[in-house]
Amino acid sequence: MTKEAVSIRDLNYSYPDGTVALEDINITIEEGERIAIIGQNGAGKTTLFLHLNGTIKSHNNNVVIFGKDIGQMKSKERIEKVGIVFQDPDDQLFMPTIFDDVAFGPINMGLDEDEVERRVRSALATVGLTGFEDRVPHHLSYGQKKRAALAAVLSMEPRILVLDEPTANLDPRNRISLIRLINNLNRNKGTTTIVAMHDVNAVSQLADRIYVLNKRMVADGSPTEIFMDFDLLRENNLDAPDVFRLFNVLSCFGFNCESLPLSIDDAVEVLTKTIEGNGKHIHLHIHEHTHEDLKDIMHRYDHHAEPSK
Amino acid sequence: MEYPEIDRYASLDSPVHRFDPRTKIATFTFLVFSFVFIQEITIALFALFFSILLLLVSKLPIGFVFKRVQVVLIFVLPLLIIMPLTVEGTELFSVFGISATHEGLRYASLIVIRAMAAVILILTMLGSMRFDTTIKALYMLKVPSSLVQMLMFTYRYIFVIIDEFLSMSRAMSAKGFNPGMNMYSLSIIGNMVGMLIVKSYERGERVYQAMISRGYTGNPKTRTAFAMRRTDYVLSAILVGFAILVHININTVMM
Repeated sequence: MTKEAVSIRDLNYSYPDGTVALEDINITIEEGERIAIIGQNGAGKTTLFLHLNGTIKSHNNNVVIFGKDIGQMKSKERIEKVGIVFQDPDDQLFMPTIFDDVAFGPINMGLDEDEVERRVRSALATVGLTGFEDRVPHHLSYGQKKRAALAAVLSMEPRILVLDEPTANLDPRNRISLIRLINNLNRNKGTTTIVAMHDVNAVSQLADRIYVLNKRMVADGSPTEIFMDFDLLRENNLDAPDVFRLFNVLSCFGFNCESLPLSIDDAVEVLTKTIEGNGKHIHLHIHEHTHEDLKDIMHRYDHHAEPSK
Repeated sequence: MEYPEIDRYASLDSPVHRFDPRTKIATFTFLVFSFVFIQEITIALFALFFSILLLLVSKLPIGFVFKRVQVVLIFVLPLLIIMPLTVEGTELFSVFGISATHEGLRYASLIVIRAMAAVILILTMLGSMRFDTTIKALYMLKVPSSLVQMLMFTYRYIFVIIDEFLSMSRAMSAKGFNPGMNMYSLSIIGNMVGMLIVKSYERGERVYQAMISRGYTGNPKTRTAFAMRRTDYVLSAILVGFAILVHININTVMM
């Protein structure tokens, strides 16, 4: 039986200067789900995240985590439930050494020394930073800082892991290992993961369900549903993954498959399956409508074009 | 621009490095207080000599320490000119009717020597242990938590702020800005500093949010494992003994 991990009802938030940041937010996330929240710059992703573990307090008791109002929780309980990894690792690594930083959460949770030690060790091992305990943050590379910041949250062993732009500014190897790490946590420990990202090419690797945020929750659905909705993407200044667009183009040439792939890995699978099920070859062709269809498809993805009817 | 890494040579090995951090801070502070109350130039010189001796024992590169002593000297050296001209007493010489006094020169020298002795001591102390160790030792010595946290965050973020400053100044020189001593340059640099303050303020807010979301309640705790050994007791006895000795001497000299 799955439990409701996060439930937010009618959440509103304005900055102190009166600018509206969040409006009538309603979300429900089941335990163990992989969620992505996408939206343009300034859509309110970070502000929403700060509500999830009570860093910003909502006064209407409308943020409920595992059935309990976050505003009523003690700090220890709240950090056990929700861990947030912020975008800039320099904001997050504030203690003098990596050990102190990763131990910061567990110590605040009141764990005994052995347990703190165990958690720091295991969190550092998970992110591949074993042996970095005594290093100081300003001697680490950006990728290492990013992983250390993740370890500092993993050591609290939160049941919900929230990551703000986890793959931003990372080189390919660090990006892939981070994505793998997050997915392993979800698969092996049943951690609910919520990520905010801009990188639509990576989003399907990290999420089964996507929320589109633009001060309000504009849409909610599977990655395919969201990326098929051209008007939605354009209105919210979002892109579809390149692979997804390519297969949209291929369909104009007569390629038919059950579901359009969202990543290269999906694409390999879809191509293999389609070609095998089609007498081991596929047939692409140009017919009278092809050019028009192509134009139409490309037009739909063009951010500078007028909305289609 | 160089990073102000005070603990660059903390990994060296010397009796000063091995000294227990808490005791080191306590005894060195005691020595500093003792030195700044010295009234005799000869004894002050002796104290300065002692500080330099400790510095040599610590094996810290002399250049590393003296580069930092220079900064203090900028503030203290002008006294050598100002004080002989302002303190009243027996005339040493006079130029254009302004007379320099013997007493003034004596006081000024005393201040300069004491300041150098104290600064060398402090730098030897800070330079011979990792900064995080210093922070932990201060916690254990029951220094008020907010003071220690201010020190800790200043040291942690000074590197980040320097990086931010450097990237701003690179961006400016990429757009053809050459700093000079004119109004235009100064106003640009003023803008830059202002920007840096705004950035730091905003970062402060984000850091605080990150702290709250990991259960910060105003009192960060860390793990510490310091243990006193016999050498620590011996070394602190020597240092405290010296700190007292310089003052006993004054009394005997006076009698």
